[in-house]
Amino acid sequence: MTEPLPADHPPAAVLVRGLTYRYPDGREALRGVDLEIRPGETVALVGPNGAGKSTLLLHLNGLLPGRGASGSAPGIGHGHDLPGIGKGRKREAEPSVWIDGMPVDDRHGPEIRRRVGLLFQDPDDQMFSPTVIEDVAFGPLNLGRRKAEAKRIALECLERVDLADASDRPPHHLSFGERKRACLAGVLACEPTVLVLDEPTANLDPRSRRKFSALIRSLPATKLIATHDLEFVLEQCDRVALLDAGRVVADGDPETILGNEALMEAHGLELPLSMRLGRAIS
Amino acid sequence: MRLDWLEGPGSAGGPLHRLDARVKLAAVVGFVLAVVLVPMGSWRPLGIAGMVLAGLVGLSGVAPSLLLRRIAALMPVVVVLAAVIAPTHPKASALGAWAVGGTIVAKNALTIGAILLFARVTCFRSVLGALSWFRVPPALVATLHLMYRYLFVLSDQLGRMARARRSRSFRRSRWAEWPLGAGLIAALMLRSFERGERVHAAMLARGWDGTVRSLDGPDRPETLPPT
Repeated sequence: MTEPLPADHPPAAVLVRGLTYRYPDGREALRGVDLEIRPGETVALVGPNGAGKSTLLLHLNGLLPGRGASGSAPGIGHGHDLPGIGKGRKREAEPSVWIDGMPVDDRHGPEIRRRVGLLFQDPDDQMFSPTVIEDVAFGPLNLGRRKAEAKRIALECLERVDLADASDRPPHHLSFGERKRACLAGVLACEPTVLVLDEPTANLDPRSRRKFSALIRSLPATKLIATHDLEFVLEQCDRVALLDAGRVVADGDPETILGNEALMEAHGLELPLSMRLGRAIS
Repeated sequence: MRLDWLEGPGSAGGPLHRLDARVKLAAVVGFVLAVVLVPMGSWRPLGIAGMVLAGLVGLSGVAPSLLLRRIAALMPVVVVLAAVIAPTHPKASALGAWAVGGTIVAKNALTIGAILLFARVTCFRSVLGALSWFRVPPALVATLHLMYRYLFVLSDQLGRMARARRSRSFRRSRWAEWPLGAGLIAALMLRSFERGERVHAAMLARGWDGTVRSLDGPDRPETLPPT
């Protein structure tokens, strides 16, 4: 598990303490998650399907809880109510998530969303504007940038993801890999300090995966990456948190966690291919 | 389902294609209003409107047969409405039900023809730009933008679902597949609802606060987020 930070140390980039969440149908998704990520760290979140990875990610910029009945009864959810998401719920309980020392709650909602950039798994969920540049400029415009400035930022971000030529194209004219990169440009345009990526390499062909992987590596922000791509974890991440049944069951360096065959099998995962090959050869 | 036609032929078409969408939108609205305001039984103005429309079709390079087929597809509804309205219309006693019914059909054919021609020579994105320029409420334009964007996503999804259904369907009659088609549309609707929630979450994640903001047009202080 993560070492406690000394008192004079800057606050953790992401701090999650005792986070619980229950779906509207009553199923428990998160059962007291504890996680701490230090500034600049790249942490992988691995676990079987249904472990609660995406649910945890949605909590980091306040998108959950707040839908339906979640959090409306004592002991359910952690009790945030962000504007525009929740309906008719006034109670605000103790926060369980902090970003750069700032609690994820009603009052800090807009600032939290500026700091935490969330990349969704399906680019078609994230690209809703008629052209690529409109989509990338969506965040800066919402942050109060003037149109000329928002356009300049959008073009710079498209340049970073090698899509400057596609700025005026509609999203459905881009390949899947290009749409993923355009989504990342849209996230980067908000200048986040924490990047939260949900399955960034899923459904990408090897070339697109390589390109996207290099792009993620080049970004200096703190990163939390939920993925099933264990080779990607070995290449990119400083640490791995293994989530299963709504709890962090292991947290440590990638070689130790991913190399523990019994642990991986117990939680529906397997050793990365490179490790299996390495062991077979040796 | 192919939706390429929504994107229009761009500058590759005739002079009407290249004309500014705002001019075309204003012209088509003016034409429709003028035709609607023609009194019952006034055949001469309707004839002139018909000639103007025919001239524009000729100028546009759009195949007249294509427009006529699409107008004809909508005509059964118009004819039924005319048959219901004409006998009880206040002018029916003076002009006769046939003249009133004929005027209703002619007016509808002309307005539908004008709108179809406009849609054929203007890409959808230009129409939305023109609507914004005419200060149509931003929420309505944003809704149309989202509809336009997700028509392509949903049509792809529908295509995949239809292929998956066909791969496991062993019925020979097209009619027997109709109930399956209805189920397909219901499933697509439910999936679209779920996607709508995810899209909304993605919008909130990038600071959406319910105000529509776009790169088009000048900066408007009332759309800036509160500090």
